Amino acid sequence: MTEMTDTQLSLEGARAYLLDRARERGVTLEVYGERRTATEVEAFGGEVSEFKLSARQGVALRALVGGAWGHSFTENLSTPALDRALDSAVENAGLVAPEPGAGLHHWPAPPALDLYGEGLSGVTVEQKVQVALDLDRAAREADPRVVSVPYGGYQDADMQGLVGNTEGLDREARQLYALHYTAPLVSEDGQNKMKPDWQFTREFTELDPTRTARAAVEKSLALLGAKPAPSGTFPALIGGECLGELLALFSGIFSGKMVEEGKSPLAGRLGEQVASPLVTLTDDPTLVRGLNSRAFDAEGCPSVPLTLIAGGRLAAFMHNAQTAARAGTVSTGHASRQGLQGTVGVAPSNLRLEAGGTDAAALAAGLTGLHLTGVSGGHAGANPITGDFSLQAEGFWLENGETAHPLDVFTVAGNILDLLAGIEAVGSHLHETMYAVSAPDVRVGALAMGGA
Amino acid sequence: MLNETLAAEVLSLARRGGADFAELFVEDAVSTTLRLHQGEVKDAGGGNLFGAGLRLLYGPRVVYAYTNDVTPAGLRDLADQVARARSGAGEVGREGTGGLDFRRVDAPPLYVAREHPLHTAKRDKLALMRRAHGGAAGVGFVATVDVNYLDRVQRVLIANSDGVWAEDERVWSRITVSAIAQDGTLRETGFYGPGAGQGLEFFDTVTPESIGAEAARIANAMLHAGYAPAGKLPVVIGNEFGGVIFHEACGHILETTAVEKNASVFADKLGESIAHESVTAIDDGTLPGAWGMVTVDDEGMPGERTVLIERGVLKAFMVDRVGELKTGYARTGSGRRQNYTFAPASRMRSTFIDNGQETPESLISSVGHGIYARKMGGGSVTPGTGDYNFAVQEAYLIRGGQIAEPLKGASLVGNGAQDLKNIVGVAGDLSLGQGMCGSVSGSIPTDVGQPHILISEITVGGRA
Repeated sequence: MTEMTDTQLSLEGARAYLLDRARERGVTLEVYGERRTATEVEAFGGEVSEFKLSARQGVALRALVGGAWGHSFTENLSTPALDRALDSAVENAGLVAPEPGAGLHHWPAPPALDLYGEGLSGVTVEQKVQVALDLDRAAREADPRVVSVPYGGYQDADMQGLVGNTEGLDREARQLYALHYTAPLVSEDGQNKMKPDWQFTREFTELDPTRTARAAVEKSLALLGAKPAPSGTFPALIGGECLGELLALFSGIFSGKMVEEGKSPLAGRLGEQVASPLVTLTDDPTLVRGLNSRAFDAEGCPSVPLTLIAGGRLAAFMHNAQTAARAGTVSTGHASRQGLQGTVGVAPSNLRLEAGGTDAAALAAGLTGLHLTGVSGGHAGANPITGDFSLQAEGFWLENGETAHPLDVFTVAGNILDLLAGIEAVGSHLHETMYAVSAPDVRVGALAMGGA
Repeated sequence: MLNETLAAEVLSLARRGGADFAELFVEDAVSTTLRLHQGEVKDAGGGNLFGAGLRLLYGPRVVYAYTNDVTPAGLRDLADQVARARSGAGEVGREGTGGLDFRRVDAPPLYVAREHPLHTAKRDKLALMRRAHGGAAGVGFVATVDVNYLDRVQRVLIANSDGVWAEDERVWSRITVSAIAQDGTLRETGFYGPGAGQGLEFFDTVTPESIGAEAARIANAMLHAGYAPAGKLPVVIGNEFGGVIFHEACGHILETTAVEKNASVFADKLGESIAHESVTAIDDGTLPGAWGMVTVDDEGMPGERTVLIERGVLKAFMVDRVGELKTGYARTGSGRRQNYTFAPASRMRSTFIDNGQETPESLISSVGHGIYARKMGGGSVTPGTGDYNFAVQEAYLIRGGQIAEPLKGASLVGNGAQDLKNIVGVAGDLSLGQGMCGSVSGSIPTDVGQPHILISEITVGGRA
């Protein structure tokens, strides 16, 4: 492994060094780099319980040899480690089957997108700590039924991303965010409930801990007094936040990579009606306030909005340059990397199910059934290959459009395509989620629940 | 990795702000990842994770910082930052806190890899994967096979201001197979992914062919299954990965990470009966070559075997250093973290319900109408409420004490405190299954395990 005495290059220095070595060896190479400096403050019981500072950087390499890609990465930016990473990427390419359409591109310039705002350099550590403490106090003081606030805090990050390749591409961008979150535990008559809330921004001064704390406490208290849920199939109002969670779990069905590997239930259905005519789904990486916004993707391809479902008709899949070439189309700018360690895949940025024309009262009017407000357990209970889900759920029972009572832990089960096809009305207000998906409330004719 | 003089200097610099304790964690980890899709090598990658983390404790309060700049200058800079970070006030003394005499932690390796991943050619790793592919491809209705291979060699140094000096090399190897069976528009997946804290010799014991065959068996068994019913039913849960129920329903809330925040329904229940008397549960870091083996934990303490529940009575929690400070319970060698970017937290190792008196057959035959959950998927829990859920990968209806038709799309939900009392029968066929457990200190390898168990009543989330 490594000696401590080796000098570490900068991210830009490492990119230049690797591209120079690759050109000398006649290797086609892409270098992706990221650097992230971050602050995290957790507060508990009126005190800072954890404080974390970090500076992390590294490069991921992708070498094209004989029509095949080989990957490697290193967080050690000394020249011997970079040489090893290049050797390893070239060796790996020699093992991998050649991919039709594999190639590097010199894309046009990305859109001008300010994801940096005023920056965080003027914000002191004390101010950040104060946000976490204010949030913790506001949540504890909001109601006597709050027994503790087990999870809450502040985070920010200043991120630099770069992509370069031996075709001459050279892209670099910075972005920044600050957020806070809180999850108050409330208790009454032996029942414990907890529901988080959060706020994401690119401007520190917009953070409002009191509002977030009150919203979280209100949502948690609403769950108290739960009664056993019935089992059966009922009409349902699905809250926008919950629909956003479901769409995030199943975003892979729109991935060109999953489609080409036969792992999407939408494979072969481009142009067909796959959802209710009320459904229009878009992905927009260029929203300034989007959690996953970016000017260019992991291959350096410029970002543009994409319509996936238009009026219920499947309009497009998301592609990176490699999957697009094999599908006979062009990249939609959805090349993605999950950190440095993986390969280049396909992923959405900010998904949005477009708002419709039905107001909240009309959506619930006359409905006796389920108001679904949350699901969990999606990493195991949602199968993006089939679209099937069976998930732990949270929600309320509605009697003739009015909330009757919250429900004890229960499940919902179904298939995401059946659910999208069964949408009867779409609400007029968009809800944001922590999963970078926004969606309105919708009403569906039937949803299977499992309760007592 | 680092000499003692530099480590002592860094720890001393870091404590200038008045910290009670400082700990340095240095990591150099090399991984290999390979993927076969339909027998073709689709991805080959891996690389070098490299960095250092510095943790300070002021009482039980934690300040943590990490960097990739693991040079003497980089580490001194990190120590300086972390010393100033406490309140942001930047008030630090000008002097360090003096030298340190380190004592090496005497923990002989619990297991030594024979076919070390760093000394094995990638072509040999691919050969194992092709054998796994062969075990699944073309079996019954299997149309698509993915094989993933992972190995990771993590070298760590943990040095702290108490004078602890621990070095360890951890080796993990794993092959996972995902098989998709298809018949017309019907499609079902089967997954199997055993791994170990061993080198490639692990695949002599658990052959790659058997991994592929098991994934294919599950996919075929479920392909023509009907949907599971919904409602409260008795459920027999299979051994091995079935232990995920204890992991989610109970394990996480016995970590001091939850207990110390009063986010555990078991926080004040030590010595009390919390489970049916047939339940004895253990969290063990000392199983040689296990996926969840801990020779020394990420706080430099040798791993231990911790009896959590004995005949239904809560005996112990899983405790890390901060947990000890906050709860007063002694550390159990449970301080774990994904890598240098996380401060350690109390986490599970190899966690299992121990053997009981029944047999799988006697449990199944005692159920009139219920579910046999033979293979489980993953799950999750909300600490604080104890509500948990997990997915069933392979299930059957039990009718009149007999295993009947296959069922798909089931999940189980419940509440740990309640359901632990409902584990009314435990068989004697304990085995362990491997998973990645995600929590506050990242994603770490843990074993789950159990013999077949009978839960008298649990909510099944089907849709039939």
